[in-house]
Amino acid sequence: MSVGENTESPSSNEDTRRWFLNAMISFFGAVTALGVAYPVGMYLWPRERKVKGGGKRSMKIPLNDIHVGGAKFIRFLNKPTVVLRPSETQVSALSAICTHLGCVVKFKEASGELQCPCHGGRFDSSGKVLGGPPPAPLVSFPVRIDGEYIVVEEA
Amino acid sequence: MEKETLVFGPVKITNKYLIQGFNLINDRFGIKELLDDEVFEKIAPGHLGLWSCFGGISFFIFMMQVVTGLLLMIYYQPNIDVAHASITKIMNEVPFGWLMRGMHAWGANLMIVTILIHMSKIYVSGIYKAPRELNWIVGVHLFLLTTGLAFSGYLLPWTQLAYWATVVGTETPAAVPYIGEYIRYAMRGGEEIGQVTLTRFFAIHVCILPLVTAGAIGAHLVQIRRQGIAGPC
Ligand code: HEM
Ligand code: FES
Repeated sequence: MSVGENTESPSSNEDTRRWFLNAMISFFGAVTALGVAYPVGMYLWPRERKVKGGGKRSMKIPLNDIHVGGAKFIRFLNKPTVVLRPSETQVSALSAICTHLGCVVKFKEASGELQCPCHGGRFDSSGKVLGGPPPAPLVSFPVRIDGEYIVVEEA
Repeated sequence: MEKETLVFGPVKITNKYLIQGFNLINDRFGIKELLDDEVFEKIAPGHLGLWSCFGGISFFIFMMQVVTGLLLMIYYQPNIDVAHASITKIMNEVPFGWLMRGMHAWGANLMIVTILIHMSKIYVSGIYKAPRELNWIVGVHLFLLTTGLAFSGYLLPWTQLAYWATVVGTETPAAVPYIGEYIRYAMRGGEEIGQVTLTRFFAIHVCILPLVTAGAIGAHLVQIRRQGIAGPC
């Protein structure tokens, strides 16, 4: 652009650019503010939820979700939990947190056991230690089959 | 009628309420002029490059440490029976707890790195020379304070690593002639590392050293403003 051109509105160019930059700054500023406020808010907000009128917290899962010999990982009491169904009528619900150093265990369908990926801890479907470093069985929860559902309850 | 505008360097504010809000403060404290001189109208010298940024980056990380540290204090419990369990809870149960702890732990390491880069730059460019000798001395103390923060914070999770690092870290000064044993005794708050040690490390880590460090940072920055940024070399 040569000098003298665009003399009619020398500022219009400038204005749209400034507007664009301001919009960009505001937009990314807002995204950043939200990106900080959300984690910090979630972090600070208390999580203990008491069931009204006392009583135990429980969770229902459709029986069909787990085939015989299978397992399903759920979030129960805000923690990773695994529900196993070693036979048609048998179910167990275990905390999926390894008692060694707290890794989340994996289910091995072939052997029907739970294995810890961190240091090779092994547990059977009732939570008993089969091998490896874990010092104690997995924490288990009361569980029963109720018609079409499996009901897991707080211990 | 011409619209009232509030100008902060390149930023023009025309929103009536923002201006009123700012004036509410400014009419009483008269900070506009100071802000203009020190921030908005201040022009950074052109010769500053990447290596000049590390002092500011260190300061930024310090502020992040303050924020994430205060957040960790919401759930951390400085008691040897539950300290580690409270950290596990932060990591596994509190939403974004892993993020806050990770930022704090990484920030602690990064801060040492950025300060060392900053010091190297000052050293290599000879900026520590008069009239800035005192600021070099303050800077060395800032580095020592930061390592102090890192050392005292390291015990807090009360893991094997934390415990034995503190055994070593308190055993080392015991080698100092004559007074070494007393230093170890004072650091541990007794012969052994236990609850007393954790309590004093916690107090030192979250309150005493942060306050002293913040004060030293203030002295560091005031000197930079009074002496000006060093010229190209
Ligand atoms: C006002 C400032 C600060 C506060 C309130 C604070 C608070 C805390 C708290 C409550 C912990 C225990 C939680 C945990 O271990 O994860 C901690 C850990 C720690 N802090 Fe700080 N801190 C501050 C500044 C700093 C600074 C400036 C440094 C070092 C440059 C530092 C280094 C550490 C380290 C290395 C740990 C152990 C981290 C880990 O093992 O996860 N802190 N801090
Ligand atoms: S954490 Fe599971 S075996 Fe170590």
